[in-house]
Amino acid sequence: MVDFSTMLAGFGDALSFLNLAFILFGVVLGQFVGAVPGIGPIMAMAIAIPFTFGLDPLPAIAFLVGVNKGGLVGGAVPAVLMNTPGTPDAAATAMDGYPLAKQGKPLKATKMALFSSITGDTFSDIVLITVSAPLAVLALKMGPIEVVALMIFAFSILAGLIGNSLAKGIISAAFGLLAASIGQDPENFTPRLIFGYWDLFDGLALPSVAIGMLAISEILHRLSEAHGNLRPAIIAKNTDNPDDSRVTWAEYWSCRVTMLRGAIIGTILGALPGIGSTAAAFMSYAMTKASSKDPGSFGKGNIHGIAASESANSAVVGANLIPLLTLGIPGSVGAALIISAFMIHGMQPGPLLFENQGRLVYGLFGAMIMANFVNLWVGQLGLRLWVKVVSAPESIIFSSALLLCFVGVSMATSGLFGVAIMLIFAIIGYLMTSFGYSLVIFIIAFFLGPRFEKSIAQSLALTNGDMTQVLKSPVAVALLILSVVSLVWFLRTNARVEDE
Amino acid sequence: MKLSKNLVALAASAVMALTAPSFAEDWAPDGPLTIEIGFGAGGSTDTMGRVLAEVMKENTGWNIVVENKPGGGGVAMFTGLSQRPADGKTIGMGVSIPVLVQLVQRGDQLPFNVDSFDYLGTIAKAELALVASKDAPFDDLEGMIAYAKEKGTLPVATMAPPQVLMMKQTKATTGAEFNLVTADGGAEVMKLILGGQVMAGFGSGEQFPYLESGDMKVIASANQSRLSYAPEAKTFIESGVNAYVDPVFFLAMKAGTDAEALKAISAAIDEATKAPAFAEIVQNAVKGAPINMGPEGAKQMMVDGLANAKILFAK
Repeated sequence: MVDFSTMLAGFGDALSFLNLAFILFGVVLGQFVGAVPGIGPIMAMAIAIPFTFGLDPLPAIAFLVGVNKGGLVGGAVPAVLMNTPGTPDAAATAMDGYPLAKQGKPLKATKMALFSSITGDTFSDIVLITVSAPLAVLALKMGPIEVVALMIFAFSILAGLIGNSLAKGIISAAFGLLAASIGQDPENFTPRLIFGYWDLFDGLALPSVAIGMLAISEILHRLSEAHGNLRPAIIAKNTDNPDDSRVTWAEYWSCRVTMLRGAIIGTILGALPGIGSTAAAFMSYAMTKASSKDPGSFGKGNIHGIAASESANSAVVGANLIPLLTLGIPGSVGAALIISAFMIHGMQPGPLLFENQGRLVYGLFGAMIMANFVNLWVGQLGLRLWVKVVSAPESIIFSSALLLCFVGVSMATSGLFGVAIMLIFAIIGYLMTSFGYSLVIFIIAFFLGPRFEKSIAQSLALTNGDMTQVLKSPVAVALLILSVVSLVWFLRTNARVEDE
Repeated sequence: MKLSKNLVALAASAVMALTAPSFAEDWAPDGPLTIEIGFGAGGSTDTMGRVLAEVMKENTGWNIVVENKPGGGGVAMFTGLSQRPADGKTIGMGVSIPVLVQLVQRGDQLPFNVDSFDYLGTIAKAELALVASKDAPFDDLEGMIAYAKEKGTLPVATMAPPQVLMMKQTKATTGAEFNLVTADGGAEVMKLILGGQVMAGFGSGEQFPYLESGDMKVIASANQSRLSYAPEAKTFIESGVNAYVDPVFFLAMKAGTDAEALKAISAAIDEATKAPAFAEIVQNAVKGAPINMGPEGAKQMMVDGLANAKILFAK
């Protein structure tokens, strides 16, 4: 394969001043747009790609990697500080991050998010750099039937998030799947539920639904509770205990199992195209909660909840590059954007990439590791700034956030149609939370729905509709048995939490 | 002294600019010109459209804005374009096949037809290939059909309705059975082939690295003519199946746009498609050279394409 001197030369390239400058620029930009509700790193990358035309390949790709990684760290900031996740994968982080911030420990909560994000990211980068080729071969063996089984397993784990009412949880999930079925059907391309709006032909735009439901509905709740007095959006500090503004080594170390589990879940799901960081974050969260000695403390500001979510959603990003670099298959929208940047610069990801462009690939790896360090450093500085920003009166913070959501969604969906959809889902989200229906269950079902449907359709086409063919796949059978086991386990854990 | 030198230089450049054979003298847009791309940001259509706009901007000095209007393979964007005034300010960029398929299948529900637009030109043609793993026990479409008959059925991955219809046509002509799996784009088709879940599948460039590495082979060209990079592989038509698809990337404006504007814009597009920077992007995106059929050629391409699509996709 690639010889050692090429690897070293590649890593060396990543350390040049120009590349480091572009990584820094990318990370700063990524953290900023990630933290602004409504824009997000994917949008930032899509906008940034044309600007990289004039650059050499390595600084261009290093810059985009910086935006992507910075965006992940930034995405946790509004989720933790304002309970308005800018990206859906940060919604799991908000579940414990926001309660902790409300207790007057916003810096502790955001720092925990930063540290676990970088831990998970570094883990998956190391997996990518060392064992991507064999992992990619394993991922190839996951055909449509195995993917269906894996998604059923994912749904069963998410049962751990349903909370007190099973019926309401199932209704939320079914509603999410219904919303996911809007648009052309994946087999025959017939429009479904579009009511004459061709803009709906490709389905509801993800940013509209996610930001409407998660961010705008929360802002509506908060604004409806405001009574004209200028309360700060968050109290930055209400004790003199310095430990409330930092994460001690003992606290970090106590989360090692949680972060490792999150990183492994994120890496596995990231290596399989199309499942994504949102599902990884929630699966990791649900498993951490269920295996905790004190599951009742989750949702009330447990740092393990933050660590579980952030380590998993960040690990997906590095792992997404496993199928991308080795097979040329993008695992997510972010990875698809990186692939188009590669192609603009004349690199064709796939089996010969390491041979033909070894130095550039190792330059990319070097840039990824450097981006993690830069992310940690910029994050440390940036978090203080964000905590200061959200100490402003909430009427100002939430109205500006509202404006940014409008701008961001209209950019991401290219027009006002996406904004209208966002508002509709904001109202649906407001009503759902008011009546105790879980938004996160809806969002996950909505996100996994299209892939789930497509995989079922593919499986049926391959087997001529013969369900017994599933028995021929040991992986699928094992996953289906695990699904039943985890479903029983999670429902019992939920019952146990209720009893306490 | 220095000032006068600068003045001379300025004057000289002004003269050069004025004497350069420029069509921009005749007509220039009053305000920004928008190119609406019928696909999302980051894809091959988007990439080509953005570079085209960049080159046009450099050549003409016009202010050109690029916007993405995804939905229905360009149908959402062309629907919007057909409802605008013909003010010469908005250009639509899309791919012929998805638009033609929708026109044939549900033309009565669409507010436009092929005549709703004035065509400006084309920029490239996508080459569509049927490929298989190198281990597949067949080397061409006839062999694949024979193998499918021998085995009873054969799994094939497609990524869009035209390819499904081509395979159905193959079945109707030859009697061979196929399990048609719809994948989410060419990259997933490659994954299904490499993973052994399907025996063959369609690719519009995604197969390139695997052809180069020897992991895959071309079975047939799905275009009307053979593929530029695999001229030995026969087309479907040559193999006895009367079906083809020729996806062409094209640009158009609302019908009834001022003739001067059409002339100037199509000339600017033509000039841009000849630029080396643009050729490089097209090469990376579709593995072929830019092809501009010009306004007349683009219109003819759509009219002929509609006739072909009616044969292939009629319900």
